[in-house]
Amino acid sequence: MDDPVLAHQEFPILGRAYFLGGRASTSVKRVLSDCGVDAETIRRVSVACYEAEMNVVLHARSGYLSLDVHPDRVVLGIVDRGPGIEDIELAMTPGWSSATEEARALGFGAGMGLPNIKEQADEMRIESTAGEGVRLLLTFYTGGRQDG
Amino acid sequence: MTVAQAAERLGLSVHAADGAIDSAITGAVVSDLLSYVMANGKRGNMWVTIQTHSNLVAVAALGGLSAIVIAGGFEPADDTVARAEEEGIPLLASADAAYTVAGKLWEIGVR
Repeated sequence: MDDPVLAHQEFPILGRAYFLGGRASTSVKRVLSDCGVDAETIRRVSVACYEAEMNVVLHARSGYLSLDVHPDRVVLGIVDRGPGIEDIELAMTPGWSSATEEARALGFGAGMGLPNIKEQADEMRIESTAGEGVRLLLTFYTGGRQDG
Repeated sequence: MTVAQAAERLGLSVHAADGAIDSAITGAVVSDLLSYVMANGKRGNMWVTIQTHSNLVAVAALGGLSAIVIAGGFEPADDTVARAEEEGIPLLASADAAYTVAGKLWEIGVR
């Protein structure tokens, strides 16, 4: 089946670099805007992308973000090398966080990251191996949600 | 109401991106938790916080917020100012507490 890619880009993410956090997401937003993606989809992708990027910054050593823009959807992949998530169900609980005190003092680590991502994405797949890292795959359908 | 008008009426100091200060305000959000603002801030909202670090700018830019107001007499960090200039997000500050800034914004009709 013909499934053209309007844009493909990859961005590295550095762990613990709190103040660089959000740079990859800001670039993603620009690419989506250049591709003519609708404003509501851009907003949903931006929120989820920022949360996913900050999860790498806060918890992992390093990672990367890949962006694929198709005519009908935006796909984000976020892969990191780090401690991973031992209990994904627990990590999805609003308010639960393993962030450090240092991160919390800066306003991160509210335990809203994964729930915010789930709220914004149409499809979310998360896999983790403890001690290795996390792989997150998010799909957003453009021009309105396709729930279910 | 524009960011510039609100800044003038509240006596806010302008630290960055005064070129983008004529954008319209659609309301405001008050929080020091970045994820809360990501989830609940609406396009065009002013954001009142006592955080001062540069990640504020990423949140404001991604959420399409109209301005950041640092309350409580705190000063924005130098790299926050630089990043706000880069992203075109007006960065304002007030000696008033966040509660007072929010009350004054409400009073002048930012709701």
